[in-house]
Amino acid sequence: MTSLQKIDEWIKEAEERPQSALMILRLIAGRLRELTERNEELLAENIALQDGSRVEDYSRRITHLEYQLEMLKRRFGPEGLKAAEALALPAVPQTISLIIYQARGKIVRIEPSLQELKGIVSLGQITGDVFPWGEFPRMLVVPSAEELLMVFTSGRVSTCAVAQVPVLENDSLWNWDQASLPDEPHGGELLSALMPFASLPLADFFVQISRRGCVKKTMTSLADNILTNHYLGRGTLQKADKPFEVVLCRKNARLVMVTYEGRLLGLDVDDLTYSTEERIRLEPHDHVIASFLIEPDESLICLTQNGKVIHRESSVIEPAKSASARGQALISPSRLEQGTRFIGAAAIRELDRVLVLDTAGGLTLHACREITGSGALPISEPVLAFGIVLAPSQETKP
Amino acid sequence: MSFRVGLDFGTSNSGVAVYDGQQVRLLPIDRKNVLPEVVKTVLYITRDYHASIGQEAIELYYRHNVNRQRHYVKQWAGEIDYTGADLHYVRDVYVYVDELKPGRLMQYLKTALRKNTPGGYEGTQIFERFYTVGELVQVYLGLLKKRAEELLGEPIRSATLGRPVQYSSSQEQDAKSEETMRQAALAAGFENVDFELEPVAAALDYERSISSPQNAVIFDFGGGTLDIAVMHLGEKNGRKVYASGGVDIAGSDFDRAIIEKRMLPHFGLGQVDHQPAILELINSVPDWMALPDLATPQNKNLLEKAMRAGLAPVRLKALQALIYNDMAFTFYNRVESAKISLSDQGAAVISLEDRDIPVWELYTRNQFEADILEFQSRVEKVLLDTLAASGLEPGSVDAVVKTGGSSNIPLFTGMLVRIFGAEKVKKSNPFSSVAAGLAIRAGL
Repeated sequence: MTSLQKIDEWIKEAEERPQSALMILRLIAGRLRELTERNEELLAENIALQDGSRVEDYSRRITHLEYQLEMLKRRFGPEGLKAAEALALPAVPQTISLIIYQARGKIVRIEPSLQELKGIVSLGQITGDVFPWGEFPRMLVVPSAEELLMVFTSGRVSTCAVAQVPVLENDSLWNWDQASLPDEPHGGELLSALMPFASLPLADFFVQISRRGCVKKTMTSLADNILTNHYLGRGTLQKADKPFEVVLCRKNARLVMVTYEGRLLGLDVDDLTYSTEERIRLEPHDHVIASFLIEPDESLICLTQNGKVIHRESSVIEPAKSASARGQALISPSRLEQGTRFIGAAAIRELDRVLVLDTAGGLTLHACREITGSGALPISEPVLAFGIVLAPSQETKP
Repeated sequence: MSFRVGLDFGTSNSGVAVYDGQQVRLLPIDRKNVLPEVVKTVLYITRDYHASIGQEAIELYYRHNVNRQRHYVKQWAGEIDYTGADLHYVRDVYVYVDELKPGRLMQYLKTALRKNTPGGYEGTQIFERFYTVGELVQVYLGLLKKRAEELLGEPIRSATLGRPVQYSSSQEQDAKSEETMRQAALAAGFENVDFELEPVAAALDYERSISSPQNAVIFDFGGGTLDIAVMHLGEKNGRKVYASGGVDIAGSDFDRAIIEKRMLPHFGLGQVDHQPAILELINSVPDWMALPDLATPQNKNLLEKAMRAGLAPVRLKALQALIYNDMAFTFYNRVESAKISLSDQGAAVISLEDRDIPVWELYTRNQFEADILEFQSRVEKVLLDTLAASGLEPGSVDAVVKTGGSSNIPLFTGMLVRIFGAEKVKKSNPFSSVAAGLAIRAGL
């Protein structure tokens, strides 16, 4: 907003104090550069509006929302719906997708058949560089009809339907080079987490957890803004910290954080603040390796890199009230000295199964009941990542 | 052992110092601040009544508030009785309260002290509790005392506090403000409290640097008031205050003038007519502490409705973002920073890096001086009146000592040079000379 009168005033300043002229010129030039960049952004947006790609974006979002609505209707059952409407609902695919992703944004999707997941222990092998630059891949087992929220270290988010990620052919031998890149991380950012969010309408909060144990709660009523602006925020306090996980949860839920060096911290979601807060005091070399919600009838398993399984009932988790809590220790000091560290942790029920990816790319399926009983995974290679396959009777957790 | 300290409770900045009979030690009371011996006079009280001051308070405020979520609930506030014709009505009154508000940040506590009159500003509601002005000052002084004690490693029992030449033009109100300050200091844990005029304190600090007797004018121009003292200094038993005077014009008035004259058009002034409710919101922008309370759902609806109707949508979107993204404090600080930088350079930019607030204002010293010209004539009048009351002519004054942030504004330096001559205008530490002088006074 620059009127002629203002320009006259700037000129007057330059005339009265010639040394101000250079400063004024520099400030105006800086502004001009900013406006030029902004103008280019607006022109690009204008092109997207004119060529219809923006309309396509919104159409896709509407389709996703409609699909979520159908999911909701199915979750609540036909109650309240007319029988004819219920019958008209499209059939929900019953397949399960195994998603393995890396910080560089590469995603592998495998669709093992339900039958396979029930019986076979070894599912196959992923060849190629599964473990590039020392970055641990992460694993997710979700229904193929699920929606994913991609959370990046910059705080940016984007959405991607599981079905949009190409499936690698199920022949027991997959190649990591065939991984897809649905949304390549921008310069300087990495992919932090994939969060299933088809159950968004049922949740009350997003809870963000950072590597250094910062936690932030955001109401899901802001989801529209978050998805429109593609920005959820980093949820960190220190620049060096990175977002680690985002979970959807309801009121009264209990959140659990497990760290690399075996610290366990329980948090009542109702006690969390809407601003970022450091909730666990970690040693400088420690970081969060798992965070998830846990129900009273679930138990907790933690896996070490060499396949050792630590199993605890959920009743042992005491919610921390203090912001300076250090958490409960799950690894004894002597074991820590020997180098024992956790690779991951999860909430399980007795009939669930654990899908394990080892450093040789081997994918194996294990019954929770068996591995919690024996205390170790029957594999020879170190564990890279694991995911939980819910028992067939259960629904996906929000 | 217990220390006796000098405590400068300023409108914008405060400080604490001790004097051992030879040297003044300014305590690094706010290690997070750029100048650790200066602590900003801001107080932040959270929902669980945890209080913090200075840079810590500002950081906490930013951490808790910027881009935070809000959730307004309708709360019953009381009843209004009114009688019309033959009928007597009782109506319930409701207010909208943001139940997610994490805390309140307060500035200008000293100004509140001046306005603490019956029927005037008596205090403020912070969540469930009403704080009187005295209680707010007590909380601030208590935290300042605690920090000073930690630095000294000893308890502090006595303090000499600075006070402006006049809190108020009414003598009764002036005495009441001082008494409120005294009671607040006692409640904060000081056992003995006395007062010294702030310009006199600055003079005591200056006196250490002179070797022969002088007639000096102390020009203490800070964030809240201008205080002037004409004194004879440099003789051990001959220190004398010829006259003192003051006026409540200072830095905060200049910030307000900049916002009113230059920044309000960015938020719709001049483009919105016949919309009194929106104009009221626009005109509230200079008062940043009032803005967060305006972030109600009704005001949001009002602004959105106006934007949908095509009424200055870009400006009103900026106003909406300023109010609802808690950018008011940041905005106010940007204006203040630009004002400060104009003391050294000819131009500065006032801007906000928020995508919804396209505020960019190139502001020159020339414009600034035009905007505050009316204040300069009032300041000059008070200065000349005080000088006349002292019985001295400008030629008989040996030194003019500037202190306080606003004393560095070239317009006022120019005024002093014009009246007294350039060689007589001396610069002292703008933020610490009063605290140093109070410490000397405390040690005498």
